[in-house]
Amino acid sequence: MLSAEQIKQRIEAAIPGAVAEVEDYTGTSDHFHASVTAEAFAGLSRVQQHQLVYRALEGLLGGAIHALALKTQAPATVPPVP
Amino acid sequence: MPASQFDPIPILNQEPAPAPAAPQAPGPEPSPVRAAIEDAISEHRTILFMKGTPEAPACGFSARTVAILQSLDVPFAAVDVLPDPRIRQELSAISSWPTIPQLFHAGELIGGCDIVTEMHESGELAETLV
Repeated sequence: MLSAEQIKQRIEAAIPGAVAEVEDYTGTSDHFHASVTAEAFAGLSRVQQHQLVYRALEGLLGGAIHALALKTQAPATVPPVP
Repeated sequence: MPASQFDPIPILNQEPAPAPAAPQAPGPEPSPVRAAIEDAISEHRTILFMKGTPEAPACGFSARTVAILQSLDVPFAAVDVLPDPRIRQELSAISSWPTIPQLFHAGELIGGCDIVTEMHESGELAETLV
């Protein structure tokens, strides 16, 4: 069984600089919504952005993850330096 | 012209293949299923690989994608991936896309349900497909 947190960590570990929000929307640990923002997405098509996320979750989709609704985007602006 | 044209791809909509007697040897042997999928993608301007048929979708994501295409009045071919697990396996290998549905236009993967929905909401889908 996967938690939303595990999926979030997996995506963020695989895509440098990614910030993921993952929600288990059925409460059954197999249907998730993920929203991922990453600078690595800049200049990529949406298909390529989703492929990066799918690669991070290789072997899980169709297995432990039955459905993953996915939204990806590059950051709108460069994040402010703290 | 009807909003939905279900255009079956004969080789891809046959009876389920019998389970192989022995595990298939892995190898670079080109698969006839893969060739049929590639032909279908190149021969149909807009083609949707889905679970079920446009008339009877077998999954909510496929149903939503079909509904969007029908709302745009775009003719499209549809292939049901369920009858033969090799279709899904080979399709995902071709497209690097693990989930169904998958929409192709002019030989290119447009995306799955989420991307099709986003593009529909922004109006981009109609521009791309028409």
